Amino acid sequence: MSDLFSNLALGFHVVFQFVPWSPAWLGGVSIPIPANILLCLVGALVGTLVGVLPGIGTIATVAMLLPITFGLPPVGALIMLAGIYYGAQYGGSTTSILVNIPGEATSVVTTLDGFQMAKQGRAGPALAIAAIGSFFAGCVATVLIAVLGAPLTKLALAFGPAEYFSLMVLGLIFATVLAKGSVLKAIAMIVFGLLLSMVGSDIETGASRMAFNVPELADGLGFATVAMGVFGFAEIIRNLDAGAEMDRDLVQQKITGLMPTKKDMIDSAPAIVRGTILGSILGILPGGGAVIASFAAYTFEKKIAKDPSRFGRGAIEGVAAPESANNAAAQTSFIPLLTLGIPPNAVMALMVGAMTIHGIVPGPQVMQKQPELVWGMIASMWVGNLMLIIINLPLVGIWVRLLRVPYRLMFPSIVIFCAIGIYSINNAPVDVVLAGAFGLLGYWLIKHDFEPAPLLLGMVLGPLMEENLRRALLISRGDATVFFTRPLSAVLMATAAFLLVLALLPSLRKKRDEVFVESET
Amino acid sequence: MSDTPSHGPVKSIMPKWVRGPQDFVGGIALIAIALFALWASSDLQGMHGFSFGAGTAPRMFAVLLLGLGIAVTVVGLLTEGPHLATYAWRGPLFVSLSILSFAVTIRPLGLVISAFATFLISALGTHETRWKETIIVGIALTAFCSFLFPYGLGLPMQLWPRFLIQ
Repeated sequence: MSDLFSNLALGFHVVFQFVPWSPAWLGGVSIPIPANILLCLVGALVGTLVGVLPGIGTIATVAMLLPITFGLPPVGALIMLAGIYYGAQYGGSTTSILVNIPGEATSVVTTLDGFQMAKQGRAGPALAIAAIGSFFAGCVATVLIAVLGAPLTKLALAFGPAEYFSLMVLGLIFATVLAKGSVLKAIAMIVFGLLLSMVGSDIETGASRMAFNVPELADGLGFATVAMGVFGFAEIIRNLDAGAEMDRDLVQQKITGLMPTKKDMIDSAPAIVRGTILGSILGILPGGGAVIASFAAYTFEKKIAKDPSRFGRGAIEGVAAPESANNAAAQTSFIPLLTLGIPPNAVMALMVGAMTIHGIVPGPQVMQKQPELVWGMIASMWVGNLMLIIINLPLVGIWVRLLRVPYRLMFPSIVIFCAIGIYSINNAPVDVVLAGAFGLLGYWLIKHDFEPAPLLLGMVLGPLMEENLRRALLISRGDATVFFTRPLSAVLMATAAFLLVLALLPSLRKKRDEVFVESET
Repeated sequence: MSDTPSHGPVKSIMPKWVRGPQDFVGGIALIAIALFALWASSDLQGMHGFSFGAGTAPRMFAVLLLGLGIAVTVVGLLTEGPHLATYAWRGPLFVSLSILSFAVTIRPLGLVISAFATFLISALGTHETRWKETIIVGIALTAFCSFLFPYGLGLPMQLWPRFLIQ
């Protein structure tokens, strides 16, 4: 217990640290500034700003903004990225409520009741309750991460290569089972991602693999390049299909009275608590974490409600529960990343990408060797949530104005921004071309109903999986049964197989689709 | 949510016995990718003794993808599924062109010209573009980026054409 407090204290110490800042124009005078807090603030603001723009999801936002953190020290960069992530999520909720366009998958269900509330002139309370719910969920999830972090790290240190490999298999299976759409196609996308990660030089032998003597491919496909292509450019091209003049049902009346009434608070309090619990649990599981959490929370609220017919007509619980759930899940999804080094979803995969760029290999070792990084990040989560509630509610007016920016002006801006961002990573024009090619690939994938998120996950996990597979087989002297004879590994593999069978069973598939169908009715 | 086209029955170029063209074509493309990967990694060393060669893992995953591709194709053959979606040409063409032009011009011409040209070319991606506002926004955004990336973020980037600096 005392460990917990000292760890959190360390985290907050890192976040509130003052750093001397002496810009040239001050002529040698240095002022102490709370750099990390400012980075968190800027991250949350910019994240919201981009997240609010319609047609840009959370993953695309984080991918697009990745390059702006490159110049920072590692701790600051990760704190800022975490801020960007929460900001983007909150931005997505804002568009759901105000324009009926979910900025991202996690806030799809929020549109159902959120937009109805806005139509009834209660956009203010809807936005406020979303923020309050998110903040509460954020507080609980932060404590949960701090509590679970240390013991899980100990567990992770007991893992050998065989267990690691099995754990990743389980994680990837979870990711397909909890995601939307065909399980088969999702697995195919993961394998495609794994294959893409093999491009470049082999870690052990140094042999060049599938690089066709192209010097730019010798180091492998850049992770940010693929992410920006598949999520940034592909989204733009897809959105243009529908015509730039997207059907936008912007709420025209002025938003007055942000504060929810006492009755709103009483109605939504239990929903927030339930959403938080559900979200925290689902977030730890690898896979669609935040997405499934918000759907499940909404379905659950509707099931237990005394009068389910209120849902879809502006029930405040229908906003409170999914918003709390997706925020809780967004945070607890950091647990597998920080303790095991395994990203449970595409956003966390981007975080891994960012960490590797700063030379940090996520995993149990980081927790021990760089505690200030891990705990600083955990503390910054709580601070980030607090900032969202403080800065975003007063700024709602600005976000609304941003929503009115027409897409015909926005998409060329995103193209430039992404192009410069990709170019700035290595100063390599080839990267930009590659990202464009992946944009076209992503467009094709969308057209054939293949989800790009598992592809990204596979790509990040590829090198780790290969390394552990190799090591496990080397230790066992080529005996592939090692994955099923070591007890811990066997349990993980059995769970993975069980899940896969369950997901392919017709009856359960129907149940799974039911959870997602909510958004279409 | 779903992206399957709802605009009426599209006249399919697929033969009748393909019941889910979208998955059918998707699966075949996966097979093609897998075969390509198998070919591309064929020159790499395989297993030697108990240890993996450089080519073992790529071939393993390629074979796995091949199997999955076949499965998706079979699903597309046997189960009723959505038709092929219609592709737009304008958006993909001009957005790709603008990305390409950025890659080609950034080194010799510098950020300012390159970014502005990219903005204008990608704006061709929709017929709804109104040129006056596009040019104004393009100039503003170019100015913003020219400040943000080299100065705000400290990323080394050349702003003006090389021949002007020399």
